[in-house]
Amino acid sequence: MKKITVAILSLVFLTTALFAQENSQEKVRQKGHYNSSKFKQLDEELPTPNKQHTASGAPGYEYTQQQVDYKMNIILDDDNQKIFGEETITYHNNSKDALEYLWVQLDQNMRAPNSKSNDINGGGPDVLYTPAKFAKTFMGKPFEGGFNIDYIKDANGNSLNYMINFTMMRVDLPKPLASGEKFVFNIKWWYNINDYMADRGRSGYEPFPDGNNLYVIAQFFPRLAVYNNVKGWQNLQFWGSSEFALEFGNYDVSITTPKDHILNATGVIQNPKDVFTKDQYKRYEAAKTAFDKPVFIVTPEEALAAENGKATSTKTWKFYAENVRDFAFSSSRKFIWDAMAVDFNGKTVMAYSLYPNEGNPLWEEHSTKVVANTLKVYSESTFDYPYPHATSINAERQGMEYPMICWNGGRPDANGKYNDRTKKGMIGVITHEVGHNFFPMIVNSDEREWTWMDEGINSFVEILAEYKYDPELFPLSKYPKNIVRYMAGDQDRLTPIMTQGDNIFNFGSNAYAKPAAGLFILRQTIMGPELFDHAFKTYAKRWKFKHPTPADFFRSMEDASAMDLDWFWRGWFYTTGNNDIGIKEVKKYHVTDKPTEQAENLAKRYGITVDQLPPSLYLISEDSKDYTDDIKGKKPEDYSVLNSYLQDNFTAEEKATLKSPKYFYELVFEKPGDLVMPIIVEFEYEDGTKERKQYPAEIWRLNDDEVTKVFPSSKVISKITVDPDEETADVDTSNNSWPKNTETQFDNFKKKQIKG
Amino acid sequence: MKYRSYLILLISIPLLAFTIHKYYISLCEVEYIPEKQSVQIIISHFIDDLEISLNNEGQKNLFLATNKEVKNSNQIFEAYLNKHLKFTINNKETTYQFIGKEYDDDLVRFYLEIPNIEKLTSIEVENTCLIKDFDDQQNIIKIKVKKFNKTLYLTKNNVKGLLNFQQNN
Ligand SMILES: [Zn+2]
Repeated sequence: MKKITVAILSLVFLTTALFAQENSQEKVRQKGHYNSSKFKQLDEELPTPNKQHTASGAPGYEYTQQQVDYKMNIILDDDNQKIFGEETITYHNNSKDALEYLWVQLDQNMRAPNSKSNDINGGGPDVLYTPAKFAKTFMGKPFEGGFNIDYIKDANGNSLNYMINFTMMRVDLPKPLASGEKFVFNIKWWYNINDYMADRGRSGYEPFPDGNNLYVIAQFFPRLAVYNNVKGWQNLQFWGSSEFALEFGNYDVSITTPKDHILNATGVIQNPKDVFTKDQYKRYEAAKTAFDKPVFIVTPEEALAAENGKATSTKTWKFYAENVRDFAFSSSRKFIWDAMAVDFNGKTVMAYSLYPNEGNPLWEEHSTKVVANTLKVYSESTFDYPYPHATSINAERQGMEYPMICWNGGRPDANGKYNDRTKKGMIGVITHEVGHNFFPMIVNSDEREWTWMDEGINSFVEILAEYKYDPELFPLSKYPKNIVRYMAGDQDRLTPIMTQGDNIFNFGSNAYAKPAAGLFILRQTIMGPELFDHAFKTYAKRWKFKHPTPADFFRSMEDASAMDLDWFWRGWFYTTGNNDIGIKEVKKYHVTDKPTEQAENLAKRYGITVDQLPPSLYLISEDSKDYTDDIKGKKPEDYSVLNSYLQDNFTAEEKATLKSPKYFYELVFEKPGDLVMPIIVEFEYEDGTKERKQYPAEIWRLNDDEVTKVFPSSKVISKITVDPDEETADVDTSNNSWPKNTETQFDNFKKKQIKG
Repeated sequence: MKYRSYLILLISIPLLAFTIHKYYISLCEVEYIPEKQSVQIIISHFIDDLEISLNNEGQKNLFLATNKEVKNSNQIFEAYLNKHLKFTINNKETTYQFIGKEYDDDLVRFYLEIPNIEKLTSIEVENTCLIKDFDDQQNIIKIKVKKFNKTLYLTKNNVKGLLNFQQNN
């Protein structure tokens, strides 16, 4: 045995020496370079870990987070579409820093007449202008939106100094707020509610032809900005697109509406007997045990009766919500309300839907069931849903999420008819928005900075939840190839996922579909569900009710799985590259005991005769001139050199378990794409059977353009396909098969058409 | 009130950009096959986008890709394509044959063919599909002639692309 080892060693040495010799003959002096490996660790891209955000991706022992509690009295003026509020804010400074001022978000100022949100958008004329939009854009008659601040006072009634910069307001503190202290202050405000159907707003009211309004009231009160360990104050302006960063706290809110309105909000109604009729209250209580199917709290008939009247008196709804990052509510005369109870290990969560009669029959058939399904699937992927209810509200052209409540578009036509695409759109948007309860309402990433962290991660779990609800309507086979067209697009119009949300083209593809497709590939193909699911759950549990950053996600996924995924984050999240892997060449070899030409050359270089080579087997290519017919069909153990080795070293039983390959395929894979990905290969044999082999992405670590593998087989291969199930978002599949597919997609289609 | 429902259709798309995965891209793959003397064209659109564009041109209630789809949808598609997708081959405007369509999830693919092209010296594509309906519409044209590959990105500011092929026999 020793002799063979020495021989092999010297052969290796010889080959290296030979290469060195060839190199030295090159005249051009090569330049050195930095480490440009696609497998280089992300140490330079990720922030240095610290005691707040640790190297493992978990919150550290010095991690801090502020708390902000709100007590609010709100009046909704349906006659004039105005909203008035008085709020008492209790700010808990849990950080180690003393704060000189607080930043408060005034999101409604995006709609103020002097708003700059449109000034940052270039572009030619719109395709069409609503009268309101035309007047606003060209005639100097802007909508009088934005907050009107009546006062800002401390707990003793003394006015506080403040300064407003567009959607951010700095409130100066009388003295710096020390670590561990709290500050209580009051703000009184009001604003005009926008008709969101006219101005494409993210909240406002939807007017109906019958004169009623459906209110979508969100980002409606001055809200504290986040002060955290990585950004200090997160006071990037709200331009209208990148969403929010908010602190957790408790909300005690009273809302006064017309007496005939039905309303739901973040939190639990504290006075149901005051706001519901006797019958409705009974149904509201009874629904808490309706585990089988949705039941009505407010019936379609009651909603019809209410929308035909108009009360002059008011009533006040009282809500309390614990540990939420925001508060929103919806109110209308037109609401039907149905409910279903969902059990989470002995804890009951209510799935609610509120919708006008215009939403039926679609909404009563699906909405609440979709809410329940979403909560279940997301809980399995993360943690049990911790809030008392999740509510889906039908408002046309909406799709927007807040803690416990969200608004979703999708309605049948005037005759109550709908097609599969309307149904699919509505189920999809409800799943997506209810899913946002987990990301970012609970796993509370900074939406203003990183849209993908809530939208992308949420869109990924959404895929699993939709599939669970209706596998025919939402097949998994669509992913990740749904992202191929986008990734193959014009590089001038692509940005990496790791780009702040206001600065990206194609919001939907960049921040939703691409990260979701990436996580789908990680789960299905690279990590496998078992490793992925545990790591994903670890991330979710670590950052539940906290503020994670991208690095916390990337690190947690590796920390909990023992998989180095830096190459994947680097390629998929930090670049705009795409994946294209193909099979370039296939060569068939047979086994022989006669030294091949290459072996003879080797011996010559080594200064020995062929006989002096150690006893060996050789692989000879079919197109070699030394290849003869008698080699064909020989099994390796037909050669005495191997046979005697086997006799000497294995028992009969052991020998029976050995494989006996007859053909050896040299496979050359090419990679025109920028990304590295596993190579998934399907071998189809002459007898029609198939076999799969997956080479890890690391196969590309020493050569980014081309790799060669030898694949032993006992049967003749008739066809080889790379990525046969299209699971790696390969942007060009024309190089994915051997023998090369000469029939074009076009030819195939045309043939089918002719056959009819 | 009719006015309002008309508007809803048109405006709904830009807003959805906030919430649903949406981007405005069509892909047109053009390949010249010398052995068949044929230019093969596959153009794919999002069904929703195309339906809106057809609505805007007065073609209502099409129910595309549903079991209520209008019977003459192929004629409507063909007319739309003839209006919005034009090829000039070897400096001559050329018509194509509409081979058929296929639906694939939210996409529709059209198969078009220009036969009897013995030799290809130049190809010009004009694609105005969906351009006036969606501000961000990007029509990608991929042209493949033997070993030569070229991708054009057409937008509202630039709806045409021309490629010349040097013949060096
Ligand atoms: Zn979303």
